[in-house]
Amino acid sequence: MLRHLRIIRVFVAASTQQELAYHANFAISLLNALLKLATGWLGLVIVFEQVDALNGWDYAAALAVLGVYLLVGALRDLVLAPSLNQLAGLEGDIWQGTFDFVLLRPANTQFLVSVRQWQIFAVFDVVMALLVIAAACAQITLTAANLLAFLLLLTGGVITIYAMMLIFSSLLFWSPGFLFTWVFDGIFQMARYPVGIYPGALGLLLTWVIPIGIITTVPAQALTGDISAEMMLATLIFAVVALAVASLLFRRATNRYASASS
Amino acid sequence: MNHRGGWALIRSTWLSWMEQRTFFFLVAFGWMVPPLIYLFVWATVAGESTVGGMTRDAFICYYLVLSFVNQVTYSQTNWTVGDMIRMGDFNRLLLYPMSPTYNTLASEFAGKAVMLSFVVPVILGLGLLLRPEVALSPAGIAAFLPTLLLAWLLRFLWGYWLALLAFWLTRTDALLALQDALVFVLAGQVAPVAVLPGFIQTLAVLLPFRYMIGFPVEVLLGQLAVGELLLGFGLQVGWLLVAWILFRILWRRGLRHYEAVGG
Repeated sequence: MLRHLRIIRVFVAASTQQELAYHANFAISLLNALLKLATGWLGLVIVFEQVDALNGWDYAAALAVLGVYLLVGALRDLVLAPSLNQLAGLEGDIWQGTFDFVLLRPANTQFLVSVRQWQIFAVFDVVMALLVIAAACAQITLTAANLLAFLLLLTGGVITIYAMMLIFSSLLFWSPGFLFTWVFDGIFQMARYPVGIYPGALGLLLTWVIPIGIITTVPAQALTGDISAEMMLATLIFAVVALAVASLLFRRATNRYASASS
Repeated sequence: MNHRGGWALIRSTWLSWMEQRTFFFLVAFGWMVPPLIYLFVWATVAGESTVGGMTRDAFICYYLVLSFVNQVTYSQTNWTVGDMIRMGDFNRLLLYPMSPTYNTLASEFAGKAVMLSFVVPVILGLGLLLRPEVALSPAGIAAFLPTLLLAWLLRFLWGYWLALLAFWLTRTDALLALQDALVFVLAGQVAPVAVLPGFIQTLAVLLPFRYMIGFPVEVLLGQLAVGELLLGFGLQVGWLLVAWILFRILWRRGLRHYEAVGG
């Protein structure tokens, strides 16, 4: 465990050095974080200018979903996306056959591919997301129990998004030319609104198959105290199962890997 | 002008991109999601009543057409030209025995042909699935095509002059990101312009962004009175002229300023 933390520290330091070499990135990342905040917030304000509730979701509840969406997205951009992109992205390790160098390292492969690249300026996004969540909290009566449930389910959500990203990345071993991760990124955009606005089958699909509902809607519901104990338990079990399936799939995928060229 | 060479370039770009079509299909899919989100958001808001004079079906039609217009007018060239100037790949373009315009045309036509071959069937499928009731007038359809063409030119040239600032600045992608945010709010993506709140609506009508995406959609669906239509058309042409002038000035000055790097 201590060794893993030490490895993470080295990766963070190396990535930070790389990124700080480009001064302009600082200002541009800050601008992008502000734009994400502004467009996300306007997307809610304009809608709630017209109605008081969106399928039962009032402004505060929808703001909480937006905050969780921004927070989970920021954590994804901080480490999961850059790391897995190096594995399964455009001209990544699987694509180019350089995955050999990861396999040869004396540490757990799944651990390495998941944490090796950090995009440190995503910290701006984390701050903006926390501001949005705080703004949502200011509009509701927050109890300690709700906050605790929120933190628990947020952890479940982060585990779930990691599992999904690992599954989509692993699929690349079977079909190296198809960027499966982009499919997930596209669908994840839908998580910025409560999953309840998507009709019938699509809503169910987005909760239990490509579980963006579990990733953002459910933690937000916990914050506003709008969730049953059964649903909480079900999503936590889902998160654990998803992580186990993802790890298993990743192991099978790496066993398939046959390097590229010579 | 070397038209034969230009045509060959367009053809070869199209063929090679068609070969990598899954990549472009994925990009097109990513661009389709935001209009779909707002389709569901506004369909939910409208419910059984109307919002800003639009019914649930009107919102569904609006966003289905919008995702088509968005795809037609979106220019990926704008994002690459700044990088090419910065990295020095631009040298190669300038040395071709034909105008660099052909390179741009090649990627525009090739990209559009490939992506639309994915997007159009998806939109038609969604239309069949959601079955919105819609009445299109011949006048709307007739006015749609010219406004769509102008919208494409405007969005392209507007992004291009921003990208040409790369001759002087190192990171124009920040400007393009800002532009995308403005497009999101003001071009009719987050909500049809008619539904935007007062002050933002005035901005949307006056600034160029609505004329890149939302305007042709409103025209096709017959949401505008004759006066609004003429005003919109005038503003669209006016902003296109502004974009064209800025593009010409920046192109000439930029080329003179350009010092090849790498290559």
